[in-house]
Amino acid sequence: MSNVIQASNLTLAYGDGDKEIIKDANFSIKKGEFVFITGPSGSGKSTLLKSLYGQLKPTSGSLVVGGNDLATIRHSKLQELRTHMGIIFQDYKLVNEWTVSKNVVLPLMIAGYSNDIQETQARRLLKHVKLSEHGDRYPLELSGGEQQRVGVARALSKNPVVILADEPTGNLDDYSSNVIWDLMENACQQLDTTVLVVTHKIPTIFSLPYRHFIIESKGVYEVH
Amino acid sequence: MKFIKNHLMFILPLMAILLGIEFYLVFDRTTTTYEKNLTEGYTMLVASKKPVKLESFQRLNRHIVTADQIERSNIVTEVIKGVSKSNSEAILKALPYFYNVGLDSYLHTKELEQIKHNLEADKNIKKVETFGSSYNSSYRLFAFIKLTLKVFIIFMALVSLFLIIKQMEIWKYAHKERMQVMEIFGAPLMLRSGVLFRVAFVDAIFASIFVSAIFFYVKFYWAAQSGIDMMMKNQEELFQVADIGILFGSAMTIVIVAVYSVVFSNKGVEE
Repeated sequence: MSNVIQASNLTLAYGDGDKEIIKDANFSIKKGEFVFITGPSGSGKSTLLKSLYGQLKPTSGSLVVGGNDLATIRHSKLQELRTHMGIIFQDYKLVNEWTVSKNVVLPLMIAGYSNDIQETQARRLLKHVKLSEHGDRYPLELSGGEQQRVGVARALSKNPVVILADEPTGNLDDYSSNVIWDLMENACQQLDTTVLVVTHKIPTIFSLPYRHFIIESKGVYEVH
Repeated sequence: MKFIKNHLMFILPLMAILLGIEFYLVFDRTTTTYEKNLTEGYTMLVASKKPVKLESFQRLNRHIVTADQIERSNIVTEVIKGVSKSNSEAILKALPYFYNVGLDSYLHTKELEQIKHNLEADKNIKKVETFGSSYNSSYRLFAFIKLTLKVFIIFMALVSLFLIIKQMEIWKYAHKERMQVMEIFGAPLMLRSGVLFRVAFVDAIFASIFVSAIFFYVKFYWAAQSGIDMMMKNQEELFQVADIGILFGSAMTIVIVAVYSVVFSNKGVEE
């Protein structure tokens, strides 16, 4: 099976490269794999995730996502690559002035799908995340768990090749967290999507086989 | 209410800048006409020993455009009444040749002095009268009005520019969240900034229409009934159709610069 993500001697740093967060990391992730990345606070989990959606360029080495080296990728190509990613944030990053439905179909809107397709997909996705009745409401009218389900629906809306999730259950209670994990397991299983989750704690109830990487002392190590 | 307030906060400073631009255009046209009238109404008097052609005057100074000789017989008509023919011929013969010399533009008094100096350097020219004191007073008043209005326009434009920068800060805050989220999901620049562009374009159109309407009113209603001679005479200069294009173009330029500044300052994802 082909690698969706491939890091070779990857170094990530802030500033002028003097504040190294990750150093000489090597790992690869295949299509359809579910991956957890854990590590202590400030170890660089979110930094690694940011680099995977091109928000932070590698200082050295290479980071290939979907066949594109993010160290050298052009801005227009990066924009195109991002349309094949579903990204989920701890703070949801929903557009509060838009309805829930509009938030969900953002990736479709960006891809230029017609309004009819967007409406159909919004209904289908909201039903999938059990928010059918909330399509016309605004994010701030929903609970944290519901907002994150909107975030998951948005991430799934264009059948992404890879889902990147940064502490997706960090602000949620146990019940809401389990709903989110279920949704992501389904996406991985049914759509064969690669899911990469940065979290401080792997859920205790998790039915899928998964890989686990830990970030420690600037290195990325697989836990077997 | 908030919607109207948000629009007015951009429309009003934009209108102030457009008013400044239009004031400048109107003022420039009006003063050019006024300057032309002043120039046409002004001549210096030159007395020479021999007849001088216009080309000879122009060789002495390039600002000279007309040289009308004053009929010598007309000058002495009153003087030679009752004088014998031979004496009157002697007076006429001894009389210098007088010219009214016109200039190409409304010049600074220093340049008038320079022209006088150039003319008097010619051995044939006996005397040059520039009527400097009355010219000087008109020129200074005119220059003062011009400077005052220009300073006022620049001041108004600067204050408005600061208000627009303030509004850009508000836009930056108001549109940041949406633009950043759209950027994360790969939206191109035009799509990210689409809403902001639409808002700003609408404001630019309204600002241009409002300013055009004000000057249309001034031109067709106020100026005609104002009783101000200069306004009534220069009514055509007050607002021209081409000005609508200039105002709209200026408004669009300001909008594009403002929106792109906001969009580019909102790049990247906030932690």
